Amino acid sequence: MTIELTVNGETRTVTAAPLTPLAEVLREELYLTGTKQACGEGFCGSCTVLLDDAAAPSCLTPVGMAAGKAVRTIESLAPGMSELSPLQQAMKDADAVQCGMCFPGILMGLTALLARQPEPTEDDVRTALSGHLCRCTGYARIVDAALSVCVPAERGV
Amino acid sequence: MCAHNEERDEQMSPAAVGADLPRRDAEDKLRGRTRYTVDSSRPGMLYAALRRSDVAAGRIVRVDTTQARAMPGVRAIVGAVDAPGLYGVGIADHPLFATGVVRYHGEPIVAVAAETVEQARAAAAAVVVEVEPLEAHLTMAAALAPEARELHPDWRDYEELVEGAQRGGNVAWEATVVRGDADAAFARDDVVIVTSEFTSGRQNQAALEPRACVATYEDGRFVLETSTQVPWAVRNGTARLLGISPSAVRVVVPAVGGGFGGKFEVSSEPFAALLARASGRPVRIVNSRQEEMLTALCRENAEIRIRSAVTRDGEIVAREAVVLMDCGAYGGEQPFLTTMTAHTLFGNYRLGAVRLVSRAVYTNTAPTGAFRACNGTYSTFALERHTDEICAALGLDRLEFRRRNVLGDGDIGSTGQVFDGDVLRPMLDRMVALRESSAVVELPADDGRLRGTGTVVGTWFVFVGPSAATVNINADGSVTLITAGVEIGSGSTVQAIPQIVADTLGVRAEDVVVKAADTDAAGYDAGVGGGRSTVSLGAAGTAAGLDARRKLLDVAADMLEAAPEDLLLADGHVSVVGDPDQRLTIAAVAAHAQDRVGPISGSGSFTGRGSATALPGCAAGHMIDALDIPIFAVHECEVAVDPETGHVEVLAYRVVQDVGRAINPRAIGGQIQGGVVQGLGYALHEEITIGEDGQFRQRGFESYRLPLLRDVVAVQADLYEGAPSYGPLGAKGAGEVPILPVAAAVACAVADATGRRVQRIPLTPPRVLGLLLDDPEGPVELGHMAPQWGDNVLGDVEALVAAAPR
Repeated sequence: MTIELTVNGETRTVTAAPLTPLAEVLREELYLTGTKQACGEGFCGSCTVLLDDAAAPSCLTPVGMAAGKAVRTIESLAPGMSELSPLQQAMKDADAVQCGMCFPGILMGLTALLARQPEPTEDDVRTALSGHLCRCTGYARIVDAALSVCVPAERGV
Repeated sequence: MCAHNEERDEQMSPAAVGADLPRRDAEDKLRGRTRYTVDSSRPGMLYAALRRSDVAAGRIVRVDTTQARAMPGVRAIVGAVDAPGLYGVGIADHPLFATGVVRYHGEPIVAVAAETVEQARAAAAAVVVEVEPLEAHLTMAAALAPEARELHPDWRDYEELVEGAQRGGNVAWEATVVRGDADAAFARDDVVIVTSEFTSGRQNQAALEPRACVATYEDGRFVLETSTQVPWAVRNGTARLLGISPSAVRVVVPAVGGGFGGKFEVSSEPFAALLARASGRPVRIVNSRQEEMLTALCRENAEIRIRSAVTRDGEIVAREAVVLMDCGAYGGEQPFLTTMTAHTLFGNYRLGAVRLVSRAVYTNTAPTGAFRACNGTYSTFALERHTDEICAALGLDRLEFRRRNVLGDGDIGSTGQVFDGDVLRPMLDRMVALRESSAVVELPADDGRLRGTGTVVGTWFVFVGPSAATVNINADGSVTLITAGVEIGSGSTVQAIPQIVADTLGVRAEDVVVKAADTDAAGYDAGVGGGRSTVSLGAAGTAAGLDARRKLLDVAADMLEAAPEDLLLADGHVSVVGDPDQRLTIAAVAAHAQDRVGPISGSGSFTGRGSATALPGCAAGHMIDALDIPIFAVHECEVAVDPETGHVEVLAYRVVQDVGRAINPRAIGGQIQGGVVQGLGYALHEEITIGEDGQFRQRGFESYRLPLLRDVVAVQADLYEGAPSYGPLGAKGAGEVPILPVAAAVACAVADATGRRVQRIPLTPPRVLGLLLDDPEGPVELGHMAPQWGDNVLGDVEALVAAAPR
């Protein structure tokens, strides 16, 4: 069936069964392949997108449930080739990236945190990251980079 | 052509080397723009699915695809008849599809391509497969039992790709080391004999990008875009399995979403290739996470008995061991990996007499394979726990024992190779300094947990092996580097390797364009793994760079009316020594060359020099009997063990790592943090268990517990520079070794905290609780190992002893 979605501010019409995972529609129909699907079971966080500003695992979200909501993917953080968002820039500056598969989900998870809570504590940041699997980096630089943006030193925790 | 240090030292362009340069691929990865193989699609592409065996062992009675072929959207079905070849690393024993028999749960039987992935899966499920079950050997003990059914009754007929090993029954490969007179040393009356037994579990690589491939069949050749660490092995392995010429296969590799060894063999590419040819359409195959959990080439489970004769004052006069490594249903990497026990389990320390047997054992389980610091992780766990047990038996200080016994300059390793330089001993001192410089982790007075520390050493190596490189100096002054190197996330092809090549040519690292791997463009390469990329690809790139540099300087010499040897190449310019005004940009020289003598292109290659050699007669069945470039590590772990729950918290973790020379120190820091955390998962909670049906119980990330942010600490690291290496600029591999001694450090810390004998990893909470309470698992019992070392050897023990150097 035909479903109307709002993705990254644009109205998109897709043809999919309503139970199709949103992640598959984003990746296979709209070619927004920044959203990853590393486990497809909701345990890794790589498919995290925003639904009306809240983080959601797009692999477990039926596309029918996303109709009428604002879907935001990693591609929206610095649209086109515009400047990196502060979070993206911090990850780049910290040399945090390795294989890169987990970062789209991590960045969307942190973006959701900041949308919900503009001044999170260090513990909030760690909690937001704790549902995201990264197999390469051992997390330390990701945490440091996230804290540098989300919890500026002058504000403290 | 080979790199010459003397020549390189003449030039001064230090800017690129030793600098924390950023990754050129970071920005697109952070934007979600990077296209991995799983993101790749083609017009008209079909989707593949495999029908896998749902029993662990059996005789195939019938495979009927008639009904499946008639299902909607199905465009091709292929099976055993389409792939006549066998592949392997040491022995060619592995068919693409189960042929005649099924040897593990999950073994592919047929492959289907259809218009949608759902249609492909439905058709695969509709294939009629009748299998008459056979008794499955799910453990090495079962496979080695007297009269056990042979998994490969035709093992004698398999092609040996490497000769010299003993094989027989369910022993796929056996390697031995014999040196000196162990019988006499064990019989001495002034020694204490310490025996230790260990087991270790499997570990799944769990790269976030599963194994995946998009195949097309174009102009009579296969084009495979794939997520691999080894483009050339995929090319050659696919050709073997399909019975075609290797030149009919082209492998291209975009960014790879993690490897860790799991992509070190040909895997799903031949299925996609066959389906692409059969259908005439592009075909994509992507493993589901469940398929990855059930069939990944996990780090092998292992069983080890190690025994040492040590004098009262701590000299190791003899050491013997029996090592069993579970290769699963096919040999895969294990015949190669048996070689490593000589250097890992029997590494680190000066030894008197030595006898070691390492056996790869067939079982009816999914084949195992390479995983970062293959074999070394559990061998080092066993060795370092054994070392602590020796210290306990003799009442010796653990650190002092290590200081006294670690290999130093001129010492002889287990296979008789002579080690060059004192490295481990000063590294131990650096660890003490690192500990003293770090803050003590305070716990509340009423914390109630048991604290312990483990300080361990480890020996690893650079898997030096063949690499080829081409360097073009373009008329705009940029440089193009063409290799079959793959970017799996470690950063070697986006940081260290262009930094090294830039240093050779006096340009900035960002001026070096690195071509993504393509076997049609680049010469042979042994693959990204074994800590070899920076060394082997870097050295080949250096050699190619020097070749191009010579050609550039010849042209510049004409233009500047100077002798080539009087020219300097730095900062993007060629200048005359002593006359800095006399200079030209590299771009101007390259453009001039293009017009007059043709574009400048250099080629270079590298392989191991074989500079380290074993004593003759010492090692049998080994693919590497001495380490050209050893790498050493010292790790220290502090833990708190909860006696109520068995949970182990890592409080602090410290690393001193031998890097030779740090090309990009910050990038190495990233490898250390990531490698240690993978090691913590291996040591503590990444557990794979096998059900009675032969299926792994852990089928996803819900039950397979990877380290999460809350499980880990920030690692303190100290890079030790200056140890000998013939790698480019003295570099060693830095990506593999961080995981090597982690399980050892954790296990020694837990033993220290609990006062119990730690014999098994992973140290899951139930297992640790068991150690503290009435251990339900009991001590490790390796009843399938014969009490006498020689009775565990297929080879002729008397002949081995007779040939052994004294």
